[in-house]
Amino acid sequence: MSVLYELSGVARYFQRGPTTVRALDDVSLEIEPGEFVALEGPSGSGKTTLLQILGALDRPSAGTVTFDGSDLVKQPDSELAELRLHSFGFVFQQFNLIPTLTAVENVEAKLAPAGGTRGRALELLAEVGLAERADHLPAHLSGGEQQRVAIARALSFEPRVVLADEPTGNLDSATGGEIIDLLANLAAEHGSTVIVATHDASLAARAPRRVAMRDGKLAGNVRAVPA
Amino acid sequence: MFYLRYLRNELVRRRTRTIVTLVGLGLGVALVVAIASLSKGLDRAQQKTLDPLAGIGTDLTVTLAPQQQQSQGFGFGPGGGGGNRDLIQSNLSVLTDLSKLGKPGAHFVHDFFLPGTQLTFPQRAAQQIASLDGVQKTTTGLTLLAEHQEGVVPKIVATLKTQAKTLTIQRNLPRPTAKDFAQMQACLQKAGVTLGRPQTQQGQGFGNGFGGGTGQRNDANRQAFQKCLPASMRRFRTRVTTPSQTLKQVLDPPQTNISTTAYTIGGADQSSPNMGVVTAAQVTKGTFLSPAGGKEALVATSYAAKHSLKVGSKLNLNGTTFTIVGLVSPPLGGQSADVYLPLKQLQTLASEKNLANVILVHAKSSSDVAKVKQEIQRALPQAQVASSKDVADTISGSLVDASNLSHDLGLALSVVAAVAAFLLAALLALSSVGKRVRELGTLKALGWTQRMVVRQVAGESLATGILGGIFGIGLGVLAAVAIDAFGPSLTASSSTGSDFANLGVSTVRTATRSVSLTAPVGITVLAIGFGLALLGGLIAGTAGALRAARLRPADALRQVE
Ligand SMILES: Nc1ncnc2c1ncn2[C@@H]1O[C@H](COP(=O)(O)OP(=O)(O)O)[C@@H](O)[C@H]1O
Ligand SMILES: [Mg+2]
Repeated sequence: MSVLYELSGVARYFQRGPTTVRALDDVSLEIEPGEFVALEGPSGSGKTTLLQILGALDRPSAGTVTFDGSDLVKQPDSELAELRLHSFGFVFQQFNLIPTLTAVENVEAKLAPAGGTRGRALELLAEVGLAERADHLPAHLSGGEQQRVAIARALSFEPRVVLADEPTGNLDSATGGEIIDLLANLAAEHGSTVIVATHDASLAARAPRRVAMRDGKLAGNVRAVPA
Repeated sequence: MFYLRYLRNELVRRRTRTIVTLVGLGLGVALVVAIASLSKGLDRAQQKTLDPLAGIGTDLTVTLAPQQQQSQGFGFGPGGGGGNRDLIQSNLSVLTDLSKLGKPGAHFVHDFFLPGTQLTFPQRAAQQIASLDGVQKTTTGLTLLAEHQEGVVPKIVATLKTQAKTLTIQRNLPRPTAKDFAQMQACLQKAGVTLGRPQTQQGQGFGNGFGGGTGQRNDANRQAFQKCLPASMRRFRTRVTTPSQTLKQVLDPPQTNISTTAYTIGGADQSSPNMGVVTAAQVTKGTFLSPAGGKEALVATSYAAKHSLKVGSKLNLNGTTFTIVGLVSPPLGGQSADVYLPLKQLQTLASEKNLANVILVHAKSSSDVAKVKQEIQRALPQAQVASSKDVADTISGSLVDASNLSHDLGLALSVVAAVAAFLLAALLALSSVGKRVRELGTLKALGWTQRMVVRQVAGESLATGILGGIFGIGLGVLAAVAIDAFGPSLTASSSTGSDFANLGVSTVRTATRSVSLTAPVGITVLAIGFGLALLGGLIAGTAGALRAARLRPADALRQVE
């Protein structure tokens, strides 16, 4: 099986006044298709920054990011948008649902650029167990329900990769566990690679592969032995 | 269509933001509409009302006012003299012999008519002006200051006796024939008078003897002479006897119980109802003077109210009864009077036959007015020619203030309001986009292209602009309707005449016209207001969206709301 992601010497610097913040510093990493990777590390270690580069939301300051054989750094914005639409699915800590759209409309927002239908959006909601709440606004949904909508939205086009940034950060531990399970199961069903950033070690422990980060650098790379 | 539902949801579900935006836009647009309409309304009111001579249907008025230096050589003017002396002479008729009004102690009512501050001149001057190039029509009018006096004929009347005049007459008398002389001699001898002069000097002696000479003789001699004179000589003697005259004249206005009320009276050409010192347009009640020019009168509403006169009332002027056929409101500027009679009637009453003191001139086209004014001034240097503008300059009042304001500031205010509406629309759109940067970043993270994001936001701005514009137009029209309905009354007033202290009478009178302010709403104004709200929102919304959509999704997502 070919490599899905190949990162080499990836760095991301931010200028904050006179000092340069090295959010990512010389990160080299390979990710296989279908992997479930936990990106763990304390707050500020660069997890979000790395996820954004992997998901084509940001470009690195240095290094190369090869996704499915092509260098993301060299792609134009329009190509990156196309990749985000069909190849990536994002799940955020804050859910990032559109507040004026109902649950089903939030899923439609992802489908719309490719002419997706409301029926498909309802199917996806049913997959995350929210068929009955399709017409509720985010404000009328619980945190767990909102994150389910976000997962349904992320899985719309059977993406190659689901990128989840602290998906349980705003949920209680029981709900968080359910969300992680749902994410893992659906990703497996849809054949998607999952990369979850978390600062919760117990959550990370459930992932077959754990990549640890500290101060923008890789601090560990552990593959669990398949059971 | 998802995008349209999204758009609708953004407007409907962010209700507070939408309402604030719509109210803001609406007020901006309404302000533009209201100010522009108000400005137009004021312009219209000015055109209608402040064009003072239009009220009397004319472009120019020609009058003859007293001047310090009078040039000679035109058939126009009172002739000779200058300055106030003309006026005093013209007005002296009021100091006529009051004894003619009745015996001392008798009650009298009499109206005296004075030319006031405007000297009279022959009516034919109007024909002279009518023949000028560019003149369409002329009308003459006579506006006089009337003094209504009522009281008891005074006793203090001076009686003046004019002295008999001595006339020197050069005439050769026929020499008496020998026969005449013999007869006279015989006659005198018979009467007992002897002649002690040589015969040859007789003729000369008669000539000298008639005046004082004979008076020194005794009566008997004198009678004898008279009796014996030949008939031809007796006739001559009667011719040179000049009679002495007795005149009664009041030297100063008598201090009696005579009460004087002053009013102004105008003579109008009743055959010209659309142009004259009074026009049919001024009639508020009743009718205009009939073309026949009979014993009819028009009375100013204010004068009628003061003297309890109404249509049908009788007006007695020095024994002639006039029937009031209509009430008139005063025009702004021009001549305004309390009472109007057909011109001929007034001329007769005031003994001003064929005289007028104002010529109204209507130019063939309004662009000719300045040229016509010059021509008249060249033809009649003594004349004072006033155009609408000259008269308008004497008009004051809230309408003038408001109109000047509208002229000076109307455009500026409209522009300011328009800019404010535009900026407001832009500001609201920008702030609305500013709060949605994270949302727009999310859309990009979902795979929306920059174009799709901008299109969505621009669509929202467009919809908001349309709704705000419609709301604003509604609000603006409502404001205009409110102004029409309860609009403030603006007044314009002008003072005509002058303080005529020489006669102790003031002819200063003020015509006031009140106009209800209207705010006509034009399609252009509505379109401009609407367009501005739309453009402001659209431009700002699109610009804001473009800025947000250009951000890398990572940066947009990192923005805190
Ligand atoms: N846009 C930015 N400007 C400046 N500093 C940033 C920016 N984004 C991230 N950083 C800094 O980079 C470091 C890594 O941040 P992040 O990737 O968000 O860490 P994590 O997600 O692991 O908490 C932090 O020190 C953060 O403050
Ligand atoms: Mg983070």
